[in-house]
Amino acid sequence: MSSIITLTLPGDILFARLASQTASSIARLLADDQQTETESCVFAHAFELAVTEAFTNSVTHAPENATSAMVTVTFLFEQPHLTVSISDANEPFTIETPAPDIESFPENGFGLLIIRKLMDRVIYRRDGEWNILSMSKSL
Amino acid sequence: MTITETSQIGIAILSLNGTLDALSAPDFRNNRSVIDPEKSVVIDMENLDFIDSSGIGAIVGASRQKRQPVGGIILSCMNDRVRKVFEITNAQKLFHIFDDTIAAVDFAATRQSARA
Amino acid sequence: MKTILAFREEEYAWVHEAFPCIHPLLLPLCNKPFIEFLIDFAIIADSSSLRLLCDGGFDAVERYCENGSRWGIDLSYGSIHPDDTIHAMLGKNRKFCGEERIMIISGFSFIRYDKRLNYKSLANTMAAGEWATCPGGRITLSGMPGKTPAHWVDAPLSLMPLDGMASYYRASMEALESGADRYVLPGYGDEPGCAFGRNVVISKSVEIRKPVSIGNNVQLLADTVIGPSAIIGSNVIIDRKSSVESSIVFDNTYIGEHLKINGRIASGNRLNDPKSGASIAMEDPHLLSGIKKKGVLRSFPRKFTHAVAALVMIAVLFIPFVILRSLLKLRGQWKSARTDFLSEATGMTMSLGKVELSTASSLTSIAAALSMDRYGWLFRVLTGQLALIGSKPLPAEKNRLEITRSALSYRPGVFSYAEAEEWPSSDGDATGGDAAIVERFHIAHSTPLSDISLIIKAFVNRFQEKSIL
Repeated sequence: MSSIITLTLPGDILFARLASQTASSIARLLADDQQTETESCVFAHAFELAVTEAFTNSVTHAPENATSAMVTVTFLFEQPHLTVSISDANEPFTIETPAPDIESFPENGFGLLIIRKLMDRVIYRRDGEWNILSMSKSL
Repeated sequence: MTITETSQIGIAILSLNGTLDALSAPDFRNNRSVIDPEKSVVIDMENLDFIDSSGIGAIVGASRQKRQPVGGIILSCMNDRVRKVFEITNAQKLFHIFDDTIAAVDFAATRQSARA
Repeated sequence: MKTILAFREEEYAWVHEAFPCIHPLLLPLCNKPFIEFLIDFAIIADSSSLRLLCDGGFDAVERYCENGSRWGIDLSYGSIHPDDTIHAMLGKNRKFCGEERIMIISGFSFIRYDKRLNYKSLANTMAAGEWATCPGGRITLSGMPGKTPAHWVDAPLSLMPLDGMASYYRASMEALESGADRYVLPGYGDEPGCAFGRNVVISKSVEIRKPVSIGNNVQLLADTVIGPSAIIGSNVIIDRKSSVESSIVFDNTYIGEHLKINGRIASGNRLNDPKSGASIAMEDPHLLSGIKKKGVLRSFPRKFTHAVAALVMIAVLFIPFVILRSLLKLRGQWKSARTDFLSEATGMTMSLGKVELSTASSLTSIAAALSMDRYGWLFRVLTGQLALIGSKPLPAEKNRLEITRSALSYRPGVFSYAEAEEWPSSDGDATGGDAAIVERFHIAHSTPLSDISLIIKAFVNRFQEKSIL
């Protein structure tokens, strides 16, 4: 079985919860009949958190006064992997950022670190004007 | 997210309820007790369901503003999901973390009196 | 009663260095993760709940132990600071402790206990304070003791610090020798001192000398001698005629043929001497050999033989080349273009003519079979820019300029080793994939003589492949 769900949302932080809770629900739905309660909670939380981080990054790095910016969240399930891709039309970026040094009390820079730690595979690619960040994890 | 603030023996207790993320982090950041560098704050996370890197950043940033960065902000009662995010970011190293709010307040009070 | 297990990162920092792939708390002692010995002891001492405290990350431990339901206990996690005292730890976990009696096991040390003895009444009735100590580790009791029972039996208990590879080795051997009498150890076996995991394949001529502990999915090949005092982890292969004595072999380790492992710890491709702490790399000649760039002098014989062979090919193929090329050019089936390819020297490129034999016809297939499309490249062998056989030349694209820097084993050739070994060519990404592995292996191990036979193989393979068309 493979299925695709696409959400197109306005690039506003208001919608981060919507995207992440959708991710969490989808992950939960897929995990529930295959995993124990604890495992499926962990799986759903990983997606909730990763999507929050990716969506927040997309919104905060949108160019100033880009009111019409949209962020697309695509879910693809191919047994046993769930892949979520977040696309936006911002400037290109890199995912190879080093983890921030915690001793200096950093306030940001945790987002990609969290995504990398939670997901099995994180791929960034630039497609024309689009940044596409694909994150996948196996059940 | 809602923040309920109470005070005990001069220590501010902020009970967070809901989600601490990029949307709600500014509320937390602008809280008077959080901004005050002299004030010890205990953050009760019992009803905090979800935190993301913006939330972690806000708490880390707040503790940097305190006169005593490690100890100015004390955390209590975090659930496993929240604890996990602290662990991934390694931010747990910067905080004293309690499983009981009253114990956290006692600890903050002893620290404050030791300083005074 | 409840138990708190508390660890500080600095206590087990040595494990990170010695066995980087394993979380120190999961370090196997006689095929059982360290933390499980403590969990067992907590259960024997009548704990229903356990809290694991650490000042560092313990994600791997959490994934392994989960909520403790496997042992029928409640397991939870918390964090501490390196300088927290026992008192501070109790405060930070006040809700967990409640009014109950608490046993605090702190420090990275091995507990010597005996599962048959009664620690329950001791833990419950002894006065609060230290129960056992060793440098770097202690067991402390806190909270009101219960009533002393009528018959009070002493149960010996001691701690042994795990402060380096030597003490780790000693503790493992001790656990193995005292066997399943004192500790709960994994594996099956109907006689004492002999524990086997699931799916262990033992060849006929294998000799096993007690005591041994063997994990799951282990293959002991012909004529191996296992033990005495061998601890072999899971997914291990001991190859022919090797012996493992008084040693520990970690999970996922391969021990090659004709090796004598005595008094060592083998993990991955490292062999450690627990006494001196020295370690050497075990190299698998096929996959793990060090690949070095050879100097100019060493590469001279190769370049010379390649040039001579190229000269022979140029001479032999000259007449067919002239005839076929002119015929094909007339028919418009011979198209050539120049493309930049990466050269052997890091970051440099060279321009090579690339011939496309368009549309299949009998003439083009003859030309392809005779490798006419590569004829022009033969002259580059004379100038030393190309080898006659080597890697498939990589087109020079911006993002590939870095590749030759990282992959030491790139030597562009007219023919590629992958062609000689009939590996499917990987057009998309010649830096990865099976074909690249074949190329790297040959580049690292080629000699001028083996090259010549491979050149012939490559030429013949292309001949057969193309003439089928």
